[in-house]
Amino acid sequence: MIEAKHIEKSFFLTKAKEGSFASLRTLFSRERREVKAVHDISFSIDRGEFVGYIGPNGAGKSTTIKMLAGILHPSHGEIRIGGYSPQRERIQVASQIGVVFGQRTQLWWDLPVRDSFEILQAMYKVDDKAYRRSMEAYQELLDLHEFLDTPVRKLSLGQRMRADLAAALLHDPPVLFLDEPTIGLDVVAKTRIRAFLKEVNQSQKKTILLTTHDMDDIEQLCNRIIVINHGKKMMDTSLADLRHQIGLPSLIRIEFRQPPEKLYELEGIERMELSENVLSIYFDKGKISSPRILAEVAGWGEPLDIQMKEPGIEEIIRLIYR
Amino acid sequence: MFALYRKLIAASIRSQMQYKMNFVTSAATTGMIMVLDFIILSAILYRFNDVVGWNIYEVGMLYGISSASVSLYRLFAPEINDFEKYIVHGELDQLLIRPVSPLLLLMTRNLDLSRVGGLVQGVSVLVISLSGLAAEGKSIVGLVLFSPIAILSGGVIYFSIGLATAGVAFWTQQMKDMLTFTIYAPANASNYPIGLYPNWLKWLFFSALPIAYMNYLPMLTLLGKGGEWFYPLLTPVAAANAFYFSRMLWNVGIRHYHSTGS
Repeated sequence: MIEAKHIEKSFFLTKAKEGSFASLRTLFSRERREVKAVHDISFSIDRGEFVGYIGPNGAGKSTTIKMLAGILHPSHGEIRIGGYSPQRERIQVASQIGVVFGQRTQLWWDLPVRDSFEILQAMYKVDDKAYRRSMEAYQELLDLHEFLDTPVRKLSLGQRMRADLAAALLHDPPVLFLDEPTIGLDVVAKTRIRAFLKEVNQSQKKTILLTTHDMDDIEQLCNRIIVINHGKKMMDTSLADLRHQIGLPSLIRIEFRQPPEKLYELEGIERMELSENVLSIYFDKGKISSPRILAEVAGWGEPLDIQMKEPGIEEIIRLIYR
Repeated sequence: MFALYRKLIAASIRSQMQYKMNFVTSAATTGMIMVLDFIILSAILYRFNDVVGWNIYEVGMLYGISSASVSLYRLFAPEINDFEKYIVHGELDQLLIRPVSPLLLLMTRNLDLSRVGGLVQGVSVLVISLSGLAAEGKSIVGLVLFSPIAILSGGVIYFSIGLATAGVAFWTQQMKDMLTFTIYAPANASNYPIGLYPNWLKWLFFSALPIAYMNYLPMLTLLGKGGEWFYPLLTPVAAANAFYFSRMLWNVGIRHYHSTGS
């Protein structure tokens, strides 16, 4: 469904001049700096997959999505969305994809939500029957009727995101690109959006590519994740494999009466962090058991409290980003 | 396509009617500024009687066409004139994900209805000038028939210049200063006979900034100032040419669109 082959995007940043005739002087300026936002990334996503595309800020996530959506032209490489090239056949690709940017609405700011839907209906040539069907389905799933006649600028962020999702799905595209769809939302709104996305992915077999910094999004939604950093692909694997591969460090947190004077290295412990009198020990369960650690640590000082935690995906990602 | 265009225009007008007061004041000020403009011009002309052999009504023809044309451009394509923000803030993103031409979407956003004031002013100047010329005993049939063609072609020429400037902005990331050279200065210059200007400037107005084809060149023929018979025909041809080349530049530019982070 989505095919990216060795795509690359470099930007030439020209240092903008200041003062009078700034634009003319910038135009003829030679001071340029090449920045590789995306460097030789390839992947292939099948129909119905729900893929998390993650990486730290500035890793090239948005740039990749923008190339897939036909907004940016890759400097090198080939992209296919349902067989079409977003660069040469942008119009065909546009009707195959739905795009949501969490940071920015696609709706008509000053008009009621309903008006945006009607304009989009005309734009994507959705016939009345299909339009009504989509509206009914999404009204129920997203409770659109609460704010269908409210101007977009007066919606809360959660409502706006629901409206944006419905708008992106109005023409029933087989592919969805979501760029941080849960950014800034409260817990309730996030849960709701996730439930909706899960439903759309499972019942309609929509192919979804999602970027996010919220690891709960990843854990609850994605069956595959692609991790990029500095514009390069670091990892492309299923969530289950990832846990296995990384060997998920477990965590024991011990509060001492007095900070221990000396920490001893132990086989199987990845790292220890001491802040004040709380010691955090990250370790590999396959190599060392927690009773063994506790027995060892008891000799370092007088423990007051002990907590044990299985770190989630967040910790894994931190390891990959590093 | 036309149904969609109508729908988008209607949406744009409805959006603006949310801010009625703003609309009324800006329409009034635009109109007033342009009237003041013309009063200054007529004052100068009354003082000197003519500009390089063009009397007040003849200059009025040039002025009316140019003024109406530039207003037409500013009315229908304010977002081309203001394209910088689409590049700087990455707003072009949302136009590029739609299955229609981004140009069509741009042309239907924020229709600047306050420019109707300028259009009315331009046409009024034309009417006054035409009646003045008729009173001098000149035949004005050709001029009356030609005026709408000139205004439309002029609108297209200004649009093309604006589009080309926006196209260049894909590289420079800035276009506000450039518009001074490409739109505002030529728009002022074309209120007077181009023959007034030094050769290099004349050459510019016949080539890269082809405003001479909009009013000066056809008026040489229609006002009997020694123009060849085919000069008026060049007006729409020049407009079509300008549009073709500026679109080409725009299309190349859009491939260089950088968007913004996240």
